[in-house]
Amino acid sequence: MTSKLDTTYSRGDRARARAYAREFAVGIVAYVLVIGAVIAWGDLSGPGWQRYVWALLPLIPTLWLVVVVWRHVQRVDEYQRQLLLRQLAAAFAAMVGVSVTLGLLSFAGLSMTLAPWIIYGAGMLTWGVLAILDSRGSR
Amino acid sequence: MNNCLRELRAERGWSQAQLADELDVSRQTINALETGKFDPSLPLAFKIAELFGRKIEDIFQP
Repeated sequence: MTSKLDTTYSRGDRARARAYAREFAVGIVAYVLVIGAVIAWGDLSGPGWQRYVWALLPLIPTLWLVVVVWRHVQRVDEYQRQLLLRQLAAAFAAMVGVSVTLGLLSFAGLSMTLAPWIIYGAGMLTWGVLAILDSRGSR
Repeated sequence: MNNCLRELRAERGWSQAQLADELDVSRQTINALETGKFDPSLPLAFKIAELFGRKIEDIFQP
């Protein structure tokens, strides 16, 4: 009888999702603007120390995104926090696995400039896939 | 842990989303409780019992 209603989100769900999306969007817009500024004005291949400051500038919006995720963790309820913790633990394990693999391969002479991004991607992908699976599992 | 949350909710004609709002949790959590995937903390169990006017042991059974 209530099967259709059971797939809708509650008012609280929507409010929490909106707050998270709003804060996350601010971070993404700031990140894109900073990256644009770095590309336009940051002389990353220049000789001075300033290039390091320019290269690290995108960390500012990235730190905001960390704060956004932390605030989201504080907002969600006990079951969602449990799921989130499991997803983040799996993402951490994936990042450790990939970084150790790449580290061992580097002993054999395989050098990858993009290695940090591969590690980052492995973590984010794991988190994203598990978040989707957990969300589908509760429908 | 087993529970009769789904039956209690159906008695009141509430959707999972409505019950979620009453308890200030997500609909996902209500679904996990009803399907036995998740056992609530003691504060949440008390809140559920209070909402339905029952004792905790009347709703949750080991």
